Amino acid sequence: MENPDPTSRAPEQQPLSSPQDQAPPAAPEPVAATNPVSDSWARGADSSEAPTPEPDDDATRVIQTDEGATDGLAKCSRCGATDISLNVATGNLRCNFCRFEWSAESANDAFDLDGDIGKLLGVTVGSGSSDIVPSTDEVMTFKCSACGAEVLIDTASSTQARCHWCRNTLSMNQQVPNGAVPDMILPFKVPKETAIASINKFVQKRRFFAHPLFRAEFTAENVMGVYLPYMVVDINAHARLSGEGEHQTRSYTVKVGDSQQTRYDADLYNVVRDFDVHVSDLTVESSSDRLEQITSQNSNNIINTIMPFDVENAVRYDSNYMKGFTSERRDSNLDELSPIAFTQAEDITRNRVNSTLGFYDRGVRWTQQDVNVRGQRWVSAYLPVWLYSYQQHKSNGKTFLHYVAVNARTGETMGSVPIHQGKLLLVSGGVEVAGIIAAIVLTALGI
Amino acid sequence: MTTSAMVLAVHDQVLASGGSSGDDGGFIGFIFLLSGFAFYALMYFRYRNADKRHRHESETEATLLNMKKGDTFVRSKTGMSNSRMSGANSHEVRGARRKFF
Repeated sequence: MENPDPTSRAPEQQPLSSPQDQAPPAAPEPVAATNPVSDSWARGADSSEAPTPEPDDDATRVIQTDEGATDGLAKCSRCGATDISLNVATGNLRCNFCRFEWSAESANDAFDLDGDIGKLLGVTVGSGSSDIVPSTDEVMTFKCSACGAEVLIDTASSTQARCHWCRNTLSMNQQVPNGAVPDMILPFKVPKETAIASINKFVQKRRFFAHPLFRAEFTAENVMGVYLPYMVVDINAHARLSGEGEHQTRSYTVKVGDSQQTRYDADLYNVVRDFDVHVSDLTVESSSDRLEQITSQNSNNIINTIMPFDVENAVRYDSNYMKGFTSERRDSNLDELSPIAFTQAEDITRNRVNSTLGFYDRGVRWTQQDVNVRGQRWVSAYLPVWLYSYQQHKSNGKTFLHYVAVNARTGETMGSVPIHQGKLLLVSGGVEVAGIIAAIVLTALGI
Repeated sequence: MTTSAMVLAVHDQVLASGGSSGDDGGFIGFIFLLSGFAFYALMYFRYRNADKRHRHESETEATLLNMKKGDTFVRSKTGMSNSRMSGANSHEVRGARRKFF
């Protein structure tokens, strides 16, 4: 229970050191505490501290990321073949006819994505991140320039298709407003064999309580390489956090009835932190299915867990990187993803500020958090995941989709294994009985 | 009677019988009484990993610049029973997508 009475501080209660870095520079005046916590995120191009009105659409700058891209036959520059795919070992595209290898241009270089975030003003978006037009077809028709046949590409799962007449591969690299062609792509780096070994190892460690049907049906070789859609966001913001912090000055024990209890004395401070923050490569799922992460209903949190990706190594989008893999189309727009990105950026900001709050060993309570976003840049990306999925049919007739996922860049593995509930309850019951017996023995011995 | 109901019944009986024992013994006994539930939860999360998520707050690159700090003493507080500040929220995470229900 707190004693709110201010008391004069005894000499030994003086802070051993003043707050972090001793002399705070020209302290911004304390802000009166307000409750509940008040947050504000302002978006604008102005760098002043006062929130500025959201810029209109005309203020949005678009980076044209499919300039020079062509649809149809993408040919090897050396032999003219269209049978081109990713060589996972090198990260390059390889002509499967003459073995010539090359790489697409780095997205950072092509679109100047690694420039100073402090210079970002207003809203900048890649042309592949533009809003989805609902009437845009999902299945696109292309005319094969080799034989003239009409070829369909189902953009829900790929941006390539093979001409059924002449066997040439047709690619879709130009952006249409249906979310199928992103600004950049991060090629697979972890080979399928490595992913299979990781998934096997992950599941083997969880076999005892695994559902018997899952154990019988599990085949790691069924893993699929999937490019999943994400938005990669850079944010240039100014933030001012204010609140209260407590520094413990003394702890001691007092006798309350028959027991001893610990009491604490502390100094209360008004705390203000005012700074610029640059958030780089914040990555957010841009498929509405993947954004739903209610773990009692799905296991999408598994795919979320294997982040982050080294998006700085992404390259300009080229459909040839997709060959042999499948993909999921982006179906969320900036206005749906902005609140998520800004809330996460706020979390990141609070986390980083903690490094300046070491003096407040009892904690800090922020009561006002004002963040003025000066600039933001959104780029859509396909990021690579090895995905093993297992549809569990429950006794109540419901189904549950379990995933074991491998980050195809870092190898990080996470998964959900269906549980044999009866077996787990039985063993837990046994543990409980053993615990009860131990508790009785300990109590009888007076321990 | 189901297994869980049986466990709960035994649980209640031992809780009742443990009431007359000393404070420390009761506490240690209580820890053992939870062992079955703790085991179930441990295994559930080990297999399902429902508690896992991307730690965006610490795993995303960010830089703070032009930091200005203000730390003004307000008053001393004495005799508090909590070792942590009430309502401390500097480690709070609000943007996690993972939810249990």
